[in-house]
Amino acid sequence: MFATRATPDRDGSPISSGVWILIVLALVSSAALAFWPSGRRDSRTMWLFAKPHQDTYTPIIDEWNRLRDPDIETILLGRAALDRRLLSSFLSGTPAADLIEAERQNAARAFTGSLDAVGFVDLTDRIDAEGIRSRINPPSFAPWMSRGRIFGLPHDVHPVMLGYRADVFEAARIDVDSIRTWDDFERVLRPLMDTNGDGEPDRYLLNLWETSTDHIEVLLLQAGGGFFDDAGRVIIDSPINARVLARIVAWCQGPRRIAADAPNFTASGNQLKAEGFVLSSFFPDWMCDVWKHELPQLAGKIKLMPLPAWDEGERRTSVWGGTMLGIPRSAVKSPEDFEELWSFAKHLYLSKDLATDLYRSSGIVTPVVEFWSDPVFDEPDAYFASQPKGRMYIGLAPQVPARTSSPYNTLALSRVQDALVQLSEETRRTRQYDEARLRERASHYLKRAHDMVAAQIERNVFLSSAGGVP
Amino acid sequence: MKQRSWIAVGLLSLAALLTLAPFVWLFCASLKTNEHFFGSTLLPLREQGLGIDWSKLSFENYRRLFQELDFARALANSVFLSSVTGLLATFCCAAGGYALARFHFRGRGLVTACVLGAMLVPAPLLLAPGYQLLHSIGLLDSLAGLVIPAIAPAFGIFLFRQASLSSVPVELLEAARIDGCSEFRTFTIVALPLIRPMIGTFLMMTFLGVWNNFITPQVVLQSPERFPLSVAVAQFRGVYYQDYGLQMAGTVIGVIPVLILFLALQREFVSGLTSGALKG
Repeated sequence: MFATRATPDRDGSPISSGVWILIVLALVSSAALAFWPSGRRDSRTMWLFAKPHQDTYTPIIDEWNRLRDPDIETILLGRAALDRRLLSSFLSGTPAADLIEAERQNAARAFTGSLDAVGFVDLTDRIDAEGIRSRINPPSFAPWMSRGRIFGLPHDVHPVMLGYRADVFEAARIDVDSIRTWDDFERVLRPLMDTNGDGEPDRYLLNLWETSTDHIEVLLLQAGGGFFDDAGRVIIDSPINARVLARIVAWCQGPRRIAADAPNFTASGNQLKAEGFVLSSFFPDWMCDVWKHELPQLAGKIKLMPLPAWDEGERRTSVWGGTMLGIPRSAVKSPEDFEELWSFAKHLYLSKDLATDLYRSSGIVTPVVEFWSDPVFDEPDAYFASQPKGRMYIGLAPQVPARTSSPYNTLALSRVQDALVQLSEETRRTRQYDEARLRERASHYLKRAHDMVAAQIERNVFLSSAGGVP
Repeated sequence: MKQRSWIAVGLLSLAALLTLAPFVWLFCASLKTNEHFFGSTLLPLREQGLGIDWSKLSFENYRRLFQELDFARALANSVFLSSVTGLLATFCCAAGGYALARFHFRGRGLVTACVLGAMLVPAPLLLAPGYQLLHSIGLLDSLAGLVIPAIAPAFGIFLFRQASLSSVPVELLEAARIDGCSEFRTFTIVALPLIRPMIGTFLMMTFLGVWNNFITPQVVLQSPERFPLSVAVAQFRGVYYQDYGLQMAGTVIGVIPVLILFLALQREFVSGLTSGALKG
């Protein structure tokens, strides 16, 4: 019936009203684009992936552009797009920006081949000659170092604290200073889980789940574990990692359960946090601003405390994320090019204005140690019940563990997560929650993960001959 | 009979309600700030005045889209890319399909086989070599780099070949030629009207495909002023936090033109889909 009504022969014209609409749209939009003023300038370009960073850099770059020529222009890209363009540029010579601000996972992929083939300019000699190494918190260099060479200026420190529901804790008269270890955390806070006295948990103490890869890495690094040692050898099957995995499983199921999943950056996770279904979450410095934007209704109800240590007196922080500014080799056609870009990179990343603006706008603590005495870091933060959170993060910054720059870190994390899921499944099936047994089984699964990652690295002649990874 | 018709109306209304619900939610969400985003499912409520808390709703997200974020440029880019690609692709595919169906030339079978073979290659596989090719011919970061590779898709050529075979009688073409019609006029005046339902359908499909395409423009384009809506909206997805209301407002703006076009082309779209479904 429809076909009959739309018989093309009816008016004999091949062009229907819909097609005419499209023709008009094509003409109008073509004319609009032809006469739209172009924002293109003859300038140096800088790729970055975070809008808050771009907003913070704008005044500093505007000032730079006012005094110098050519201008620097920032281009914001999604992280996935940045990753693809970076690799395309490094591997097949497609065009790249003159400066690239890369996230840890993006940058690490550039370190897969020989040192000569790394797409970023080696900055080590200039960093040492100009005394920059001593000005920056040492762990901040780690993710940008490969085989002893530095390929980027660090942007941050990213210490991790625990953010907790101060309104709930204080109503229950809990003294967080008495919580020094994860064992204390479980023991002191467990009564908060049952709100109606029926013996069943109504809320949970920690935002963590077996599938939260970021959280797993935070805990592994805090405990002194991780995937690669300082010489770059795979250490996935270490007893420390087994202990952490066993504890995560115990926290997520069975009689010791204290954790629940309220995923970050999701509407459902935010709802669970707002409702108080989870009472504490991991807080790297950049996460503070995320909560302010996504959960403004919790202003004044959240406080920060150092992470409980795995053992009394041990490290009370960890690290999550990381960003650097690198100069692609393709941008350096002459020594003058390098000098110009290097001057800008230092002007931006070593600027005191940036250090304070970045903290004010994004909560991120600068890695430049000499700026830590600035009063901005002592300002009370109303969202965190007037705690001077900047000073608290800075107090933990020297303890931050080193992050690996291995291009195999993502692979290692995936394999360790597989091990954790297998351990969880087995534990759900057997219902054996004894910690010694969990550790033994965790070691078993981690050994498998270790062998898989080591075999993969062994195939890379550049890294296997260098002992493993950076 | 009457009762059955009421049941049908009821069921269809329910289906319509279910279909419209996400759009209603989307529009309501686009009027909220981040602070009130999770406070209510649809509209924020209070006891007075119609039960809706109007103070928590505003068009601020729409204002920001156009005044602060140059969203109009992204909208113009999307309209340009979709309409120009749609028109060019439809014309090229119709011409190609007609030629394969109604002209006898050496290698026709091979060309048809190549067109069919090209349909078997998954699109993601072409992304990397396509990028390299666009780089080598200087079309990276240009709208032409998105339009030109999309103007003769194998699927479209094959579709119009089949439509020409079934809808364009050879006798009619011969009659036109005897009357002195040139080949191009025969195609435009005789053949195209006969495959008009397919033109509407293919135009709609191409327009929608280009409008919704995210991966290719994200890879090919680098300058923000050339981003289409799909990429521009994705840019609102921050690394550290999300501005949900802004994303929803951007999505609403992205949906409206497509909705209007569908309403304008729906008759041909449906007839194109159903042509050939009935005998005679």
